[in-house]
Amino acid sequence: MTDGFGAGASRGEKRLVYLDYAAATPMDPEVVDAMAPYLTERFFNPSAPYAAARGVHADVEAARADAAHAIGARPGNIVFTAGATEANNLAFAAAGAGAHVVVDAVEHESVLACAGAFDHTVVSAGPDGRVAAADVAAAITPRTRLVSVELANGEVGAVQPVREIARAVSAERARRLAAGEAAPVWLHTDASQAAGTLSVNVGTLGCDLLTLSAAKIYGPKQVGLLWASDDVALRPLVLGGGQEGGVRSGTENVAGIVGFAKALELAGARRQVESRRLAGLRDRLQRMLTEEFPWAVVSGPRASKLRLPGLLHVSFPGLEARRLVIALEREGVCAGTGSACAASKMRSSHVLAAMGAPAEVAMGSLRLTLGRATGEDDIDYAAAAIARAVASECARLGIDAASGEKGGEA
Amino acid sequence: MAKVYAGLSGGVDSALACALLCEAGHDVHAVYMRNWSRDLPGFKCAWADDLADAERVAVSLGIDLEVWDCEAEYKATVVDYLVDAYAHGLTPNPDVMCNQTIKFGTFADMAFAAGADYVATGHYGRVQAGPDGHARLLRAADEHKDQTYFLWRVGEDVLAKTLFPIGDIANKTEVRRMVAERGLGLERKPDSDGICFVGPVGIRTFLLDTLERRAGDVVELETGRVLGHHDGAFLFTVGQRRGLDLGGGPARYVVRTDVEKNVVYVTTDRMSPALFARALTLGDCRWVGGEPAPAGEYAVRMRHTGELVACAWDPEAREVRFFEPQRRVAPGQSAVLYDGLCCLGGGIIQP
Repeated sequence: MTDGFGAGASRGEKRLVYLDYAAATPMDPEVVDAMAPYLTERFFNPSAPYAAARGVHADVEAARADAAHAIGARPGNIVFTAGATEANNLAFAAAGAGAHVVVDAVEHESVLACAGAFDHTVVSAGPDGRVAAADVAAAITPRTRLVSVELANGEVGAVQPVREIARAVSAERARRLAAGEAAPVWLHTDASQAAGTLSVNVGTLGCDLLTLSAAKIYGPKQVGLLWASDDVALRPLVLGGGQEGGVRSGTENVAGIVGFAKALELAGARRQVESRRLAGLRDRLQRMLTEEFPWAVVSGPRASKLRLPGLLHVSFPGLEARRLVIALEREGVCAGTGSACAASKMRSSHVLAAMGAPAEVAMGSLRLTLGRATGEDDIDYAAAAIARAVASECARLGIDAASGEKGGEA
Repeated sequence: MAKVYAGLSGGVDSALACALLCEAGHDVHAVYMRNWSRDLPGFKCAWADDLADAERVAVSLGIDLEVWDCEAEYKATVVDYLVDAYAHGLTPNPDVMCNQTIKFGTFADMAFAAGADYVATGHYGRVQAGPDGHARLLRAADEHKDQTYFLWRVGEDVLAKTLFPIGDIANKTEVRRMVAERGLGLERKPDSDGICFVGPVGIRTFLLDTLERRAGDVVELETGRVLGHHDGAFLFTVGQRRGLDLGGGPARYVVRTDVEKNVVYVTTDRMSPALFARALTLGDCRWVGGEPAPAGEYAVRMRHTGELVACAWDPEAREVRFFEPQRRVAPGQSAVLYDGLCCLGGGIIQP
């Protein structure tokens, strides 16, 4: 059952293979180096009046300019936050009380939770996890203030038609202008899961608000940003000393901001080559697993361009992914089940449910996400380990590993 | 090879119990009993973490793990019982009820209905066939961990089909070593002491979250003087010293509580005769073998791993008589009779 995956995957050789980059990424050494001075000698408060502190203030602004450059925006439109969840909350706060908002059913919990506080419409996703721009357009009403659709889904990797949706939002804006209606409508897109591998240029995307996370691109955790176009008036959620243009008070996380800017710069420089490399490795893993287990179900869009390159969502119907994850851990392979939030609450994922996946498929699904340190050997090793885990679970449950059919006695 | 349904809680003891059953060649089906999932102020109920640990063990052993939802039974027979007992001024043993009604009640019934030959748990106790062929409950090899004090309400019919795989192990250090040796990854998990559903915040927080606060007096037994106030007599238990909040002064002990008048009586005299008893009357007795223990001399235990005290048992009066006065134990607690290593059963200490 384990042969055929090449020499690198032979038994006895134990290694550590991390395949959960969508949950967390290790910090790039260059990011660590960029941050280090701000944790020690350059600890000053950017708001303080003396030269040393002014220098740190200038560094924060330089980082803001670098981050802006990375997304094709102006520095003044960027607000640094403590992570993507806060940035999403800040985006929704701009809609204001009483507004109607539109989201899709496969958004991250932070977006769904924010939408829940408003009069909201949830647009359903197709069986491949993609949202149709026409469905979003149809959900927009004259009272809609905010439409929020992520750039790419972190669980099945579906890349959403954000540009098309942006056109629908523009059309509504044009209609209101013509009708003399003053209420604005904005498009927010959470690009946290996409930034490492897809372009996050705000001009190209055509959105009005954009969320990014440092933690998913080899930067520090608890650092994110919200970009907002000039047309959007943000309303602060955190009040205090008026930092970040009064939109996000609290002494700046200087090291985090500097590290984030560095991480964005590196992501931009490596994006093209890395995306291709990851897609190649992902396809190799997918091929190995689906050849071994033709009954395995791969979720997400089929077309390569419409799926995050480093992500493979594969399900073994009838098996319990939670057990597979434990078995894999014992072989040194770190894999995710569905999304991390769903896993810790032990519910099956809302994303798969929204896609109409049968419970059996949802329960048996692994999310394998590849990253910078992943090599071909790792893929071969992981594929062999997964094959062993699946075969052993099949044996325990009396499922024929070749066909996935429930056999006779367990 | 027997078909064994084993409780797997995510703790060290049941993990080893399951491992030993597997090694003995049994067909082992692990079950996580989900009994309770309510959070309290300052305490997040750990059931999800415990289930994850149980799952880890099951996968390591290559056995099934099912989650059986016993919340309704647990609420009715353990939690409501506990709250009701406290409300009546008693200090109950929820673990005793849980063993009777959940682990060797609902769980065992379901397991046997599913075709189990045996049920098993990670309790420290031993089952042995007596000379008459009936199952007897014996104390564990490790006297410091022995849990028969919590098992006295389990009858021989269930015990006859029960396995306690770790009851013969010398001590907890050995248990942890054996868990480590098997790579089950739980050897450093701390023991869960106390009532599982209140966790480290304690019973007081649970009761205040459940019952109405009711201000009352703390009265000195000897003088009748009011020394202070409390939030409800149901919160106090005989012998209790802490939590009286009398603003300094000498240490005082709860002698008696009167939940009807809502008064807590205290004394400074640790040797006060009111804190001692020459005899206990038991109610709601149960006997492992079905029949009450005949009159005679036995050892009685009044708290978990507490001293075994020599006593005379009078089955007519349902009275335990001590040869030396003993420190009074709160009504509602169990008094368990032993004949040598053998746990005979017992009763609930009456007010």
